[in-house]
Amino acid sequence: MFDREFRRKKDLLWLLTRKEITLKYKRTVLGILWSLLNPLLFAIVLVIAFKIFMRIKMENYTFFFLSALFPWNWFSASVTMSTGTLIGNVSLIKKIRFPRHFLVLSTILAQLVNLIFALPIIIGFSYFSGKGPGVNWLITIPILIVAQFIVTAGICLAISMVNAYFRDMEYIIGIVISLLFWMTPIVYPLKIIPETYQIYLVLNPLTYLITAWREIFMSNYIDWRSIGICYGSSLVFLLLGILVFQRLGKRLDEVI
Amino acid sequence: MNDALEIEDVWKKFPMRRDRPGFKEFLLNLPKFVNRNYNSNFWALKGVSFKVKQGECLGIIGKNGAGKSTLLSLILGTIYPTKGEIKVSQKITPLLELGAGFHPDLTGRENIIINGVLLGLTKDEVMERMEDIVAFSEIKEFIDMPVRTYSSGMYLRLAFSVAINTDPELLLIDEILSVGDESFQKKSKDALIGLIKEGVTTILASHNLAAIKDVCNRVIWLDKGEIRAEGEPEKVVEEYLRCSG
Repeated sequence: MFDREFRRKKDLLWLLTRKEITLKYKRTVLGILWSLLNPLLFAIVLVIAFKIFMRIKMENYTFFFLSALFPWNWFSASVTMSTGTLIGNVSLIKKIRFPRHFLVLSTILAQLVNLIFALPIIIGFSYFSGKGPGVNWLITIPILIVAQFIVTAGICLAISMVNAYFRDMEYIIGIVISLLFWMTPIVYPLKIIPETYQIYLVLNPLTYLITAWREIFMSNYIDWRSIGICYGSSLVFLLLGILVFQRLGKRLDEVI
Repeated sequence: MNDALEIEDVWKKFPMRRDRPGFKEFLLNLPKFVNRNYNSNFWALKGVSFKVKQGECLGIIGKNGAGKSTLLSLILGTIYPTKGEIKVSQKITPLLELGAGFHPDLTGRENIIINGVLLGLTKDEVMERMEDIVAFSEIKEFIDMPVRTYSSGMYLRLAFSVAINTDPELLLIDEILSVGDESFQKKSKDALIGLIKEGVTTILASHNLAAIKDVCNRVIWLDKGEIRAEGEPEKVVEEYLRCSG
């Protein structure tokens, strides 16, 4: 009986995720191929930009940028989408009883597809840089995906619920996400920040996450220290997210 | 027989929020908004208590706004009572809204799978029953088309077929059955009676008094959030008609 209930939950999460993915490309011609094409075309654009127009004096800058950007995109897309997750499923929430947090989790999982489809690009860059890909990737990528999933889940749970009560949240999130983008070492390396300001970056849970992603992609190095810190802060965020989601969830029906 | 459902002195309050004021009004009237009394309350249910035995079919009647849907949502557990207690000892299968959880861009088949799992089956179990569900709905030729192309009758057929094929124990039905055409209404009524005979507990809120008299063993009349009368379908319906006629 317990086993059956577990399988049902697994099926439900998978079906909701697949629904998100199918719906995203439902009426397009290329369909899910876009998830593969998008990062590829984006990489080509960056190569053109950085080789011709904005020549940055850093070795392999396109790779440097993309190795952080693709994981970041998973985060930012999930957070942005999560504002509409609960308020966009009113009839489901009001008329059927099921674990509501699955809606949020499936949104995040559906966005993960883009990161996975971007991996071939990363592998290509890594191959040409001569440092990877290596066996370390197989260990680190799943570990980092889980860490990022946990922190994203915490944040998205809270945001999706708060946005049901306070719809201004959606617009605030748009601004906060772009602030966070520049506060995370994505376009620049952590070390160019003056030391007095580094403390602020360290408070940002994504700093270590992105650092760890970049270490494995660019140097084939497992940055255990960053990974450890990631897990610590991820769990804090998850707990806070669950707390907010449960507390406010009791009166969700009154506001959606 | 055991109780499938026990409702004890349940009260439900909804805050009557005025429409959210603009930012300027908000600033100008700040003291008024801070005052908690600004938002008045509406009591949708005022101390409702009753029990439902396993295998019983309970009808709920009453005017619009009497609290029928609130009561069903409380039993389902998508909203919580302000006061009082609700004990449910069976798996609930809701049929509260036409195709709740259906996505218009997905096909009938895809929606059957998702809805079946939402209503308590595993995916494998839904696949086993797929043929039965499609057959009962009688819309085989449209089953692989997106449901946005369906008529409301087809929506109902699909939603009802899924719901009764998920091994319901306690079925909650809010009105919707009246959407289908004559033949499907009869078919769904027969299916419902069959389920009740097999021992499925049913709670049916409806304005269709004839259907209530046909299928229910007991009827509750809700009036402004309180139970006005309870008992034999014939008697309660007659009393209801006399008072509202």
